[in-house]
Amino acid sequence: MVCEQFERILEQQEDDTLPKPALDHLETCEACRALSADFYAIHDMALELGAEGIAPPERVWVSLRGQLEAEGLIDVSVQATPQPVYRSAPGWWTVFQRPAVAGAFLGIVLAAASAVTYLSNVPQTAVQSQAALQQETSYVPSADSVFKEEVLTVGNDSIPGLQRQDTAVTDSIRRNLQIVDNFIAMCEKSVREQPDNQMAREYLYGAYQQKAELLATAMNRSMTGGLQ
Amino acid sequence: MSATSYLRAASSARARNAVRASALGAAVAGLILAAAPAHAERVEKHFAVQSKPKITVRNSSGRIQVKAWTRNEVLVAWTNASGKSVVETEQAGNRVEVAAQGNEDGNSADVSKTDFEITVPVESELNVRTDSGNVTVDSVHGDMTFDTVGANLQLSDVNGYMVVKTIDGSLVCNRCSGKLEANSISGNVQMIQPSLDSLRVQTSSGNILFDGSFSSRGIYIMKNFSGTIEVHFSSSDSFDLAANSLKGDVINQASFKPDTHGAPHPASKWGHGFFGTMNEGHAKVELSSFSGTIKILKRD
Repeated sequence: MVCEQFERILEQQEDDTLPKPALDHLETCEACRALSADFYAIHDMALELGAEGIAPPERVWVSLRGQLEAEGLIDVSVQATPQPVYRSAPGWWTVFQRPAVAGAFLGIVLAAASAVTYLSNVPQTAVQSQAALQQETSYVPSADSVFKEEVLTVGNDSIPGLQRQDTAVTDSIRRNLQIVDNFIAMCEKSVREQPDNQMAREYLYGAYQQKAELLATAMNRSMTGGLQ
Repeated sequence: MSATSYLRAASSARARNAVRASALGAAVAGLILAAAPAHAERVEKHFAVQSKPKITVRNSSGRIQVKAWTRNEVLVAWTNASGKSVVETEQAGNRVEVAAQGNEDGNSADVSKTDFEITVPVESELNVRTDSGNVTVDSVHGDMTFDTVGANLQLSDVNGYMVVKTIDGSLVCNRCSGKLEANSISGNVQMIQPSLDSLRVQTSSGNILFDGSFSSRGIYIMKNFSGTIEVHFSSSDSFDLAANSLKGDVINQASFKPDTHGAPHPASKWGHGFFGTMNEGHAKVELSSFSGTIKILKRD
């Protein structure tokens, strides 16, 4: 079995059991072992996120950060505190370029965004006591910080979609990332100044979601050459 | 060797050389022809379909024009000026897929630019994905999705459930009816004479213009971050309005009554808000901006 065949099997398998030829190949191929490990790690992260409902565990982000750093997708210099770097296989990005894995990553990002948005909407649908308000404000900054540290620090210069030859598309994505970043900064300022301003908070979450979707578009266009 | 046989042999050798030269010339010419781009050659393909086919178009760069006719047939015509883009088509029953692919060397947008003219039955479902280049759709009735990066989109006389996702492409919707969801970051969105009964538009820095009537059971949500939201109404329109701009202004030319439907709207502590009812308040209109200006203007 060659690596391509193994990757196809890995993509298509629905349970945890690999067929024997694939297991044999795994024993002899270091790259595929790393690929398989990354694949299962991300798969498990997605499951855990779904099970825990609201806030993804910190180690999800730590692991993602490690992998993104390893691929140079995160500008380490902007991280506030040093984090352990999980070394991954040299070809880790090839895992990320696989639609299923990229989908899992995007799922994590959007699920977290949805969770944050959900939290922000709770007060609109329920009678809101002061205690509930305090509880909400205590949850939300935590989710905010997750986004700030783990997603929003993905460097604009290292978005894989920006490797494309179509400069118009590249410029468009860069320009719009800048626009969204500016909006995020403005919203964050508003939320800091007026913590109980629900509208500012909603715009902030909306901007986070937009950034996540824009990054996903960049990755998606990169993976498929913009054609699929 | 005698002189005669020498001459015969020489003549034969010349003939063989001539044949070789001809063959070589033909081969070289063939190679040149094969390598030369088919400059703007127009290619057409016809697909017989039943009613309501689903047409999917993938293109990275270039114009896509879709129009309707009464035949149960899909006509796909394309031109690729460079001749280096490969167009693949596929039909499976009532599903037709068209995809323009650059070569594996990685073409620039100019090289892979492919222009499509697609004619479909009036009742058709469309799924279009492109990066750059304009997309126009005329007189097609059916559900449609559009996913673009910088491509501008113009829909005219279309009807259905339309979903538009773009990064900085603009959307112009002339006489659109049905339901529309549009999401953009920096693109403008204009709806001219729409007959929509459901609208949800969001753009960050783009402007939004709605110039049309509100359906009696319609819900219209327009939201942006920093651009202008402009809604034109007539005195016979019937809708409830909620307009909020956190850091911008709300300019209102309408004489609204206090909203008597549902929960009261307390004045917001922040920004500028406006709530009211026009006539019976059948439709629901929500306008929201972070720092942009909201204008509710009376149509002439």
